Amino acid sequence: MKTSYKLLLTFGIIVALGLIIHFPGYKLARAHVNSKTAVEDHPLLCTSCHLYTSKNKLLSKLVNTDYFSPFNMAVSKDGSNLYVVAQESNELLVVDSKNRKVTNKIKVGEYPHTVILDNAGKMAYVSNQWSDNISVIDLAASKVIDTLKTGNGPAGLSLSSDGKYIYVVNSFSSGISVIDLSTKEEKKRFDAGNNPTGTQLSPDGKSLLVTSRRALIAPYGDTLKSELTVIDENTQRVRERLNVKSAYMMENVAFTPAGDLALLTMIRPKNLVPSIQVEQGWMMNYGIVIVEQKEKGRIIQLLVDEPNAYYSDPFDIVITPDGKKAFMSNSGVNFISVINIDSVRAIISGASPELLSEYSNNLGVSSRFVMKRIKTGADPKGLVLSPDGKLLYVAEQLEDRIAVINTETLETINTIDLGGTHRITVARQGRRLFNNSGHTFQNQFDCYTCHPDNHEDGLVYNMASKDMGRNLTNTQSLREIRDTPPFKWNGKNQTVYKQDGMRFSTVLTRSEAFNYDDLDAITAYILTGIKYPPNLQYNANGILTPGELRGKAIFERTKDNLGNIIPENNRCITCHTPPFFTNLKLASVGTLALTDDSMKFDTPHLNNIFQSPPYLHDGRAATLEEIWTKYGKEEKHGVANDMTKNQLNDLVDYLKSLRAPRYDGKDSKKQKTSLKSN
Amino acid sequence: MRKLIGRSQRKYSAIAVIVFGISSFGFTGLDKHPDSKDSKVKVIKDEVKPMPVYGHWRNFTTKDGLPSDKAYCVRIDGDRVLAGTHDGLAVYENGKWKTYTTKDGLPHNGIVSIDVSELTGDVWIGTLGGLSRWSGGKFENFSQLNSGMPNDLVYCVICDGKDVWVATGGGAGHYDTYTKEWEIFTEKNAPMHEPWTYGVSAGDGKIYIAAWGGGVIEYTTKTKKFKDYTDPDGEMEIDLLPDDGPVHDITTGTTWGDGYLWVSSYFGLCSYDGAHWKGYFDHDSGLASNFINFVRAKGPVVFICSDKGLSTTNGKSWVTYKKNDNNSDGMAIVKNYGRIDDSTPNKTTKEIPMSPSISHNFIIGVDEDKDVLWVATSSGISRGELLK
Repeated sequence: MKTSYKLLLTFGIIVALGLIIHFPGYKLARAHVNSKTAVEDHPLLCTSCHLYTSKNKLLSKLVNTDYFSPFNMAVSKDGSNLYVVAQESNELLVVDSKNRKVTNKIKVGEYPHTVILDNAGKMAYVSNQWSDNISVIDLAASKVIDTLKTGNGPAGLSLSSDGKYIYVVNSFSSGISVIDLSTKEEKKRFDAGNNPTGTQLSPDGKSLLVTSRRALIAPYGDTLKSELTVIDENTQRVRERLNVKSAYMMENVAFTPAGDLALLTMIRPKNLVPSIQVEQGWMMNYGIVIVEQKEKGRIIQLLVDEPNAYYSDPFDIVITPDGKKAFMSNSGVNFISVINIDSVRAIISGASPELLSEYSNNLGVSSRFVMKRIKTGADPKGLVLSPDGKLLYVAEQLEDRIAVINTETLETINTIDLGGTHRITVARQGRRLFNNSGHTFQNQFDCYTCHPDNHEDGLVYNMASKDMGRNLTNTQSLREIRDTPPFKWNGKNQTVYKQDGMRFSTVLTRSEAFNYDDLDAITAYILTGIKYPPNLQYNANGILTPGELRGKAIFERTKDNLGNIIPENNRCITCHTPPFFTNLKLASVGTLALTDDSMKFDTPHLNNIFQSPPYLHDGRAATLEEIWTKYGKEEKHGVANDMTKNQLNDLVDYLKSLRAPRYDGKDSKKQKTSLKSN
Repeated sequence: MRKLIGRSQRKYSAIAVIVFGISSFGFTGLDKHPDSKDSKVKVIKDEVKPMPVYGHWRNFTTKDGLPSDKAYCVRIDGDRVLAGTHDGLAVYENGKWKTYTTKDGLPHNGIVSIDVSELTGDVWIGTLGGLSRWSGGKFENFSQLNSGMPNDLVYCVICDGKDVWVATGGGAGHYDTYTKEWEIFTEKNAPMHEPWTYGVSAGDGKIYIAAWGGGVIEYTTKTKKFKDYTDPDGEMEIDLLPDDGPVHDITTGTTWGDGYLWVSSYFGLCSYDGAHWKGYFDHDSGLASNFINFVRAKGPVVFICSDKGLSTTNGKSWVTYKKNDNNSDGMAIVKNYGRIDDSTPNKTTKEIPMSPSISHNFIIGVDEDKDVLWVATSSGISRGELLK
């Protein structure tokens, strides 16, 4: 045989083999991608899943990078230094505001939240939300000199008017710790609303306001109420617990210099009407709560939205020293709304309760008091004014940058680069999308709106079904869900791709679906970038208390108190299997409501479940206890009716102790380090 | 052999003498009982202050703004007075009563116990249908269904630092206001005869639970250990052996003041100084009746709410307030001895007329502060002032 024939034959065999492999291989790959994405035209890019969402540590390190993610800020009395909380790098960044340079980085605790300075400007206090403590920093030495123990999830901070106490808002355990700075001991602790964060002392030093993010737990159908807690600074007791109706996510508060008004950021969710109302502008509204600081002062709400344009996720608010302007960061649309306070006064002055009620839903009122919208970088969060009020600093969290705005001209005059990487990873891009309302109809909301802190907002939504059933849906957490498919309560979505793809836009956002690059990015973020906070309140070190151990035994029991065998499918452990406490299967637990479509429910994961009230698919159980005391009578959701009250308490204690499995591994060191520093 | 036995007997005799001596010392030298002449107890001494007598009674009923004449409890909170009635919580402030009911957010209108947290100022309210925290004008309710609370029949609530303790129809328990968790105690995990508990009090690092049929359950908060005190006579309605323990296993209340635990029952009153019990009955002391609903100690003085009047004692003398059956007048009966068998010379009884008197002799609640006494009765609430 001639050599040329041999070559031709070899080539022919290779081609034939290639064709044989290619076509079925392609077909298989196509089928695989189709099944994961629920569409038939997603590009066949292996990197979409196998690189950006890879669990491989080396790959993950290669494709991802570290960011600062500035969150909240403080400014020195002379305005020369900015102190920036870098939430992701666990640092307090010292920024020379004149030269626009980071001059120092001070390591603090896990996931820092807020920084405040003492009256002399010599010390800084940084709340470490995932360490349950406060770093006390000597600013001259740029050094953490002390650590103060707090309640669970310290967030907002305020010093007492005499500087002797620090008030700490415990965002996870919903309370306020009063810490005596001379003894460094917690003097007392109050309850405060639900998931409070923001706090501000009134100019006269008499009242401390604390804002709640989540609404108070109430049956579906009741008017939403969120608490504004008022502490009497003199007696250090709760003076008032004000209900702010139809509002939640009251992130922060600012007083006018005269102290006659307090302005809060807020969201007015329309969770009681079917979600098909998105096109009618009835999903979310955003605005301010105005609380008159006098006896029987009114609580007024004004929207900053406009007809056909929403200004989502308001976060921070500050007021200029002359009391003329307020600045509010609208994180979901990358804008600062400038509010004319005199105009606000004119609108509310003498207005009847009926008129004010109408204003609270009126998209046209904002044109009367919003002076300007100033564009910012991605995800503007904390705001701080220079002492003379001439400059506004904006923490652009997903830009790793501080914007500098002239408060007279209302123009951005500079930016301060915090010196991090300029590379935007796929997951980072996903986080930007997650936090941006650009993909919903008229910018009404974004993922973060209903999943604040990548968790859930504690609300139950009327997700109208195709058959016009009600399908009340309790928002679920997005923390560490990569290993817990399927998704949605009915388990219809096998992957996050499918969850956030075309159906998502059809059902929820009512706009163009994410393009595939964006879908890759948002999936990468959800699957890799969202972590559980440590469970420092109920399981700090992995050692269960005697009660929790008894509860674990009940959770895993195979026989009831009378010795009867519990059917395998009715044991807690069967469906709620560690480490995520879900067997990833659908089940019927006797909770289907008359207005629900006929369905089984995806077994929810249970880690950090204490942070997710209300419970069950429609949020009918206000507490973990109610799952069995009120809604477990049929014994389809585990056998519980034989239990004594002590046993039920033990079971609940055990459930509260559940935490992310990664804290039992390497990351447990971080948690333990946090504890040691306490 | 005889010699050997003799030696042994002598040895055992010597040991017996030593043991007897130590035992005797234990019964005498360490005796802290109030009536012991050589008592080392700091509180109730011979030079004890005279018993306060209250008068200038003013009575409040529905005519004065109370929601009900049936008052179950009363608590003084600074400038205001909180009263639990059959039909809601009544608050007396600036000379006026204001009522709060289930319409305002209370879990039940039958308010049977109230305490105020010294730390936070929050008011904790025990009702016949759950526990409520009244703070900043808002009621937050705890029930056996929505929380780890043992039972909705909350007979008694007290605040002890950051803990809120309850005595309920289904056990006792405490709510940690920091961790927001309940720990409950029933016959399953505590030395109780049954879960029914009527009273709870705190003092000296201990919690004292009045358990129905179980006497007094002492819980040391630091060690989390229990100790129970029961009547050696069991449930006999007479105290067969005086001063041998609680007067009865069915106890209705406990209170702690100035080193003494006071325990009430439907069969008499008793005190405990950490070493010895002492019983007080209507036939041998100034006690108005053996049927006692509630007790509250304020320093060395204990206020005893009975079905036949209000008695107060410091263990050395008594003042009992009674209303006449046929009119609104009554008297304060002052006795200068603690018990008929004590060593007080010249035991005397003196009656001080009161016009008006307390509003009814069936007393269920009492509180005292700054020389003002408030009394909850089954027919109105009375306010008395210290007679100088």
